[in-house]
Amino acid sequence: MPLIQRFQKRDLILYTFMIVILLSIWMAMFQIDRQWLFIAETQEKIDEQTRDIADLRRQIQRGVAVTAPSAVTSAGDLPTGWRAFARAEQAASTPDYARGDWLVQSFASQVPSLTPYLSGDAYASRVQSWVSDTLITRDPETLEWLPLVAERWSVSDDGLEITFTVREGVVFSDGEPLTAEDVAFSWTFLMDTRIAAPRARAYYSRIQNVTVSGRDVTFVFREPYFEAFATVGLLPLLPEHFYGRYLENVAAAEEFNQSTGLLLGSGPYRLVSPTDWKPGDLVELVRNERYWGWLPAPFDRLIWKTIQTDAAMLTEFKNGGLDVYAAQPLQYRDLIEDELVTRSAQPFEYYNPRGGYIYIAWNQLRAGKDTPFVDRRVRQAMTYLTDRERIVDEIFLGFALPASGPFNPLGKQANPNIEGRKFNLEKAIELLAEAGYVDRDGDGVVESEQGVPLAFKITYPSSSDNYKRVVLLLKDLYVKAGVIMEPNPVDWPVLIEALNNKDFDAISLGWTGDFEIDVYQNLHSSQTEPGGDNFINFKNEELDLLIEAARGEMDEDVRMPIWHQVHEVLFREQPYTYLFRTKSLVFSDRRIKNVQVVRAGLNTGGLWSMPMEWYVPSNEQKYAR
Amino acid sequence: MLNYVIRRLLLIVPTLIGITILVFAIMAAAPGGVGASLLTAGGDMRPEERAAMEAYLNARYGLDQPLPTQYLSWLNRVSPVGFKVDENNQADGFGLKIPDLGMSFAKNRPVTDLVAAALPITLLMNALSLPAVFILSIIMGVYTARFRGQALDVGISTANLALWSVPVIWMGVLLIGLLASEEYLNWFPTSGLESLRADRWTFLPVQTDDGWQPGYLLDVLWHLVLPVACLTYTGFAFLTKLTRSAVLENLQADYARTARAKGASERTVLWHHVFRNSLLPLITVAASILPGLLVGSVIVESIFSIDGMGRLAVEAVQLRDREVVLSITLITALLTLISYLIVDICYAIADPRVTYE
Repeated sequence: MPLIQRFQKRDLILYTFMIVILLSIWMAMFQIDRQWLFIAETQEKIDEQTRDIADLRRQIQRGVAVTAPSAVTSAGDLPTGWRAFARAEQAASTPDYARGDWLVQSFASQVPSLTPYLSGDAYASRVQSWVSDTLITRDPETLEWLPLVAERWSVSDDGLEITFTVREGVVFSDGEPLTAEDVAFSWTFLMDTRIAAPRARAYYSRIQNVTVSGRDVTFVFREPYFEAFATVGLLPLLPEHFYGRYLENVAAAEEFNQSTGLLLGSGPYRLVSPTDWKPGDLVELVRNERYWGWLPAPFDRLIWKTIQTDAAMLTEFKNGGLDVYAAQPLQYRDLIEDELVTRSAQPFEYYNPRGGYIYIAWNQLRAGKDTPFVDRRVRQAMTYLTDRERIVDEIFLGFALPASGPFNPLGKQANPNIEGRKFNLEKAIELLAEAGYVDRDGDGVVESEQGVPLAFKITYPSSSDNYKRVVLLLKDLYVKAGVIMEPNPVDWPVLIEALNNKDFDAISLGWTGDFEIDVYQNLHSSQTEPGGDNFINFKNEELDLLIEAARGEMDEDVRMPIWHQVHEVLFREQPYTYLFRTKSLVFSDRRIKNVQVVRAGLNTGGLWSMPMEWYVPSNEQKYAR
Repeated sequence: MLNYVIRRLLLIVPTLIGITILVFAIMAAAPGGVGASLLTAGGDMRPEERAAMEAYLNARYGLDQPLPTQYLSWLNRVSPVGFKVDENNQADGFGLKIPDLGMSFAKNRPVTDLVAAALPITLLMNALSLPAVFILSIIMGVYTARFRGQALDVGISTANLALWSVPVIWMGVLLIGLLASEEYLNWFPTSGLESLRADRWTFLPVQTDDGWQPGYLLDVLWHLVLPVACLTYTGFAFLTKLTRSAVLENLQADYARTARAKGASERTVLWHHVFRNSLLPLITVAASILPGLLVGSVIVESIFSIDGMGRLAVEAVQLRDREVVLSITLITALLTLISYLIVDICYAIADPRVTYE
C-alpha cells in the first residue's frame, strides 16, 4: 500500500460533512450568545424595576412611621422598633454614601455546603448570616440586644418562657411573608432527627416546646439556662414553604442532607438561585431587592473567591482583585511598611470575639494513674514558667493578648481584678519543691521523692506553625526549672483519638469563644465521663457549684459576679494554662468607607445578622451594575 | 488474541479486590478512625458539639460494625453483580445491579457527584498538558539524537534537566509572583478557572457597549496557562531522554545504513524509517496516559485554587473519608489495568513479531 493515499471522492464528501458540522456548531454558539446577551439585558431591566418598587414601598413605610406620633423619639431618630438600623442609617446619611459596587472577599478553602446546619464550616455561617435573618441582633459596639425580625420580646420571671412578637411586613426574598409559624418551624425543622443538624440540636434541645399565637411565638425551656435568650434570638429563621417539604419523609430529608445550596431567607442578601449553588461555584450573594428592613443593603453583590494558597491570595489582594485580606503577624508587619499596599488599603487590628483562646491542658489522670499535674502547685508552677508575654512579643510580634482565663476580656464575663501570672522562675522552682520536685541527683532535672524525673510531652496539632513555635519556646523555658518537656506534634485524627482516650500528658489546643461562654462541657466534673470534654479529669466541687449556679441564672447582674468567681477558681487551680488570644490583622481596600473597629471586631456582619454599614462612594465604585 | 484479552480481563477482578482490600486495611489501621477526623473538618470546635456529632456519625454510617463486614458490604455496593439491597438494608435477590460508590462521610454527598465535579477539570488540564508533553518531548528527543553531542543536544538536555529539577511548588508561586502580580507583570490571573463575571459572558469574544469582552472560551484558556505550564514543564526530561536513546539505537541499526546506502536522504531515513521504529518504547510509557488523565496534581491544584481530582483525593485521605478514597483507588486501578492491557495489544499491532497465541 502506498504511504500517502490519493485524495478520493469519498474523502471530499467526508471533509465537506465535517466542515458543515463544525460551522453549524460555531453558528449555534454565536446564536446562543446573542440570546444570552438579550436575556442579560432583560434581567437587568427587571432588576431595576424591582429596585424602584422596593424603594417606593420603603418610602411609604417610612411615611407611615413618621406620622405615628408616639413612634418617633426625636426628630431625625429612627422609630424605636428600628434601632437595629441606626448605625447603618447614620452611614447612609453621610454625603458621599451611595449604593452599588461589589464587596469581594476570599475564603481559604472550599465551602462544602451553604444549606443551613449541614456544615460546621465558619465560612458557610458567614454567608448564611447575610441571607437568614434572626429575631434579634446585637449592636456591634454596645453589644445591646436589639429587635430585628421580632418587634419586641418578654421573658417570664423564672426565665423559662421567652415570647417574641414577630414584626409585620417582614418578607422572605421570594416575596412570601415571614410569620410566627415560620419562627416555630425553624426550631421544629432542626429538631427533626432525620435532618443532619446534630451540632445545632445540642443547643436547641434545651427548648421543651414552641407555641404560636397570632404574631407571638413562645419558647419554653426545660430548665433555666443563661444563654436561653441569645440561643432563641439568634435562631436562623427558615421559611416553612421552602424547607417544609423536606420533613415529609425520609427520602426528602435525605435530599436535604445531601444538598449543597438550599438557602432562602429574609436577610439583606440572597443567593441568585436559592437551590442551585454547588461547591466549586463562586460564592456570590446579590442584594435582596425585596428586603423588608429600614434601608436596603449598600453593595450590589457580596462575593467570596476561593483562593487556597496564601501567596496567591496576597497577590490577588495587591492586584486589587480582593477587597479584604487577613494577614499573619509577620506578614502584617511587612505589609504596613509596603507602600504599594498602604496606598490602596487600610490596616485594621482587632480582637475577634469568636476568636477564642489557646491553652495548654494538664492531664491529671492517665491510664488510671495520677500524673504530676494532679498537684495544683505543679500546675501553678508550670504557668509561672510559661512566659506568655514572651510568646506574645516574639512569636506574635505583640499582636496577641496574654490570657488569664477562658473568658473574653471584651465582654463582662472576665474578672477584671485578675492579672495573669508573669514569668517567675524562682516562684516556679519554689512551688515545684513544695510539691516534692527537687533536683536530687544533681543532673539538672527535678525528681519526685521516688526519684521519677518531671518529664512529659505536649501534644499539639502538627498542621500549625504557630503551635510549633510556641511549644519549642516553652521547651527552653521549662528546662530552666529542671522540667523536661518533649514536643509531640500529631495529625488531627490522632490528636482527637488522644483526647478521646485521655491518652496524653499535656495538650495544646484552642477553643472558640464568644462574649459570654459556657465552661460546663470542658471543666465540670460530670464531663469527665465519655462524651464530655473534660479530658483532663479535672474535678473541683466549688467550681461545679459555681458553674451550675451561673448557668441557671438569667439575670446578668447576678450572673456576672458568679462568672467572676469561676474565673478566680480557675486562676487558682490552673486546670489549663491559658495562653493567649490572637488579634485579627486585616487590610481593607480604601474605596470601602466607614470601616470601623468596634467591640464585635469590624463593623460588618458575619458573626450574626446585622445591617451592612460599609459602602463605596459612587465616584470610586469599581464594579459596574 | 481474543482468548488472551478475555483471560486478562478476568484477571483484573481479583487484582482489583486485592488492591481495595489493601487500601481498606490501611484506612482502618490509620490512627483516629473515620469519625474522629470529621469532628474537626470545619476547623471549628465547640465543646458542646463534639459529642453530639460523634454519636450521629456512628449511628449513620455503621462504623461500629466489624471490619470484614464493612468491607464486604462496600464490595457488594460497588460491584455490578451482587445482592440487591432494599430500602431497609435487607438483601433482596441476587443479580445485575447499578454499582453505587457510596457517600462521602465528610461532605455527606454521593461520591459520584464529587468525582463528577472534579473530573472534568482534571481532564481538561491533562488533555492540554499531556499532548504538549508528549509532542514536544518526541520532537526534542529526535533532534537531540540527530544532533548528538552538538550544541543543540547539550542545550536541550541541560534545559530539560534544569526544568526537571525545579520543584513545582516553588515554580508555581514564582509564576504567580512574577506573571500575575501588579508589582511585575500582571498578565495572567492568580487563581481559579474563570473570571468573576465569566458566567454572565458569552461563549465567544464579543464587542459590547462596555467594550471588548473576551468571552468564556478565551477566559478559561487564559486562566489555564499558568497551571498547565506547571503541569507540563517537569515532564520533558524523562520522555526526551527516552526518545533520544531509542532514536540513537535505531540510527545505528543495519536497516538505517541500508536506507542510506540506497540513497535515501538523511531526512527520509530519520522520519520514515528510524522514527517509526523508535516509537515502540514510548508505547510502554503511554500506558500511563489513561490513568494519568484522571489523576490530578495536588500541588498545582492547590497553588492555583483549582478543585480537581488531586485535591479531592488528598483531602479525602487527610479526612479519612473512606468511601471517597476507595472509589478513587478503584477507578484509578481499573483504568491502569485496562491501559496495561491496551498497551499489550498495541505492542502486537505495532510489532508483528509479538503474538499472544
